[in-house]
Amino acid sequence: MEQNPRGHRRRRRAIEITLAVGVPIALVALWQVASTRGWIDRRLYPAPTDIVDETRTQFDQQDRWHDVWVSTRRVLLGYAWGAGFGLLFGYLMGMTRLVRVALEPTLNALYTVPKLAVLPLFLLIFGFKERPVIAVIAVTVFFFVWIQAMAALLTVPGGYREAASSFGASRWQTFRHVLFPASLPQVFVGLRVAAGVAVLTLIGVEFVFAPGETGIGYVINQGRIVLLPRQTYMGIIIAALMGVIFISIVKLVGRLLTPWAPNDRAVERG
Amino acid sequence: MLDSASSSRGETASDDTVATSRGLDPAKISARDVERQFSTEDGELHALGPFTVDIADGEFVCIVGPSGCGKSTFLRIVAGLIRPTGGSVEIRTRGTTQNPTAMVFQEYSIYPWKTVLENVRFGLDVAGVRKRAGNERARAYLGKLGLADRERARPDTLSGGMKQRVSIARALAVEPEILLMDEPFAALDAQLRTVLQEELLHLWQTDQRTVVFVTHSLEEAILLGDRVVVMSARPGRLLASVDVPFDRPRAPEIRAIPEFARLQAELWDMLRREVEAHLAEQAGMPASDG
Repeated sequence: MEQNPRGHRRRRRAIEITLAVGVPIALVALWQVASTRGWIDRRLYPAPTDIVDETRTQFDQQDRWHDVWVSTRRVLLGYAWGAGFGLLFGYLMGMTRLVRVALEPTLNALYTVPKLAVLPLFLLIFGFKERPVIAVIAVTVFFFVWIQAMAALLTVPGGYREAASSFGASRWQTFRHVLFPASLPQVFVGLRVAAGVAVLTLIGVEFVFAPGETGIGYVINQGRIVLLPRQTYMGIIIAALMGVIFISIVKLVGRLLTPWAPNDRAVERG
Repeated sequence: MLDSASSSRGETASDDTVATSRGLDPAKISARDVERQFSTEDGELHALGPFTVDIADGEFVCIVGPSGCGKSTFLRIVAGLIRPTGGSVEIRTRGTTQNPTAMVFQEYSIYPWKTVLENVRFGLDVAGVRKRAGNERARAYLGKLGLADRERARPDTLSGGMKQRVSIARALAVEPEILLMDEPFAALDAQLRTVLQEELLHLWQTDQRTVVFVTHSLEEAILLGDRVVVMSARPGRLLASVDVPFDRPRAPEIRAIPEFARLQAELWDMLRREVEAHLAEQAGMPASDG
């Protein structure tokens, strides 16, 4: 049908890239014009350039880097604890039937509890410092990682295990050579989702409780309180960037550790 | 897993053996009234037996039978992967290798996260062979299967035929006394299957290891085997054991000999009734392979 398939494909690709890049640029430009021309209320919908200016002054005068650092630390610590225990429980329960039978109903029940709801308890238990914030993030991350790790082990094709048994592999050898690597791609899906959720949770917690009145969530919420929407916009953008960067790092590590796994882009393109 | 089955895979010698094609040699594998039941949601499934067969040292035996007759189950019992619920399987080992048996599976058996070399070395790693010696041995078998230049490749870059070569090399690398093959070529296209059959013939003729080869294809069974064992529909029993009269070394060209077609027709006659029985049973029961 198509006379020149290569040229056709190149042209289609060019159009796709133009759309993918062009549409967001056009939207931002439209926003800029709408706001500066007064089509929309500039106080509530500040122009992108206003937000950039605000960000510049705030980072110069109020040391917003401190907030970024404090929030990053909370996310990373919470993530590390949550992912660590998630992997531990996921693998233990995936490997040992009795442990799974013993713990799964309890964890399933706890899974549905909104994690933010336990913040008041954590405040009482851990005191009004960093630890309750980190604990809420950790608990949230835990469930995402636990579920994926356990499911990954349970869905390892029987043929892989059987081949290992046929060579007389011990339990540990089967885990090291077969189950662990086989589970990695799916475990990284869980780790990646958890990275995004960790940032979400962080912002939510900092709205309610931000020790030392620092943190990006605090900054976002404060923008409302002091009637400075620009600051809120700035905070939203910083939180989004934190999420994107964190997810990308986890994704990259996953790629490096599981080079055999089909990556998302390849799947999308078919 | 291997340990769990060793009770029924002992080294006792009994002289009341059923005659094998090799006459008076003590059997390498003696299966006596082997049975296997599986419990499923619909109740007990009698998958195999009682099944009795003797396989001589160095013999290449092909097992054919209708789907679900338990031929793969039998192979797994010999491999020590599952235990029989009745009867016994005895394997006379020389005791020189760690793995008396090694198995080649139909699919899902080589590991995508390991390179070709690492896959072939897998059995040796598990057996605690040092890496250096393991690599050397693995390379030797890669060479035999024409994979010498692919040792660093990852399996997902290989064709189906290459993957099965890796799987065969992996099984041979542990130098088992018995090679078990579970429909190893079933997933390949017809041309590739022919090529791999030829390679296996060649390989076996220089190596003369005991092979138990499960297949759906009568043609494949006659081409490769010293003997074809025909099993009944589920629960599989020994229906017939037919010696293949063609001399070794064999070449795939024997397919053109009239005798070949005659043997194939004779076996098919036997099998057809069983396949029909299987189909009739399937109408009333959920399908299950094994």
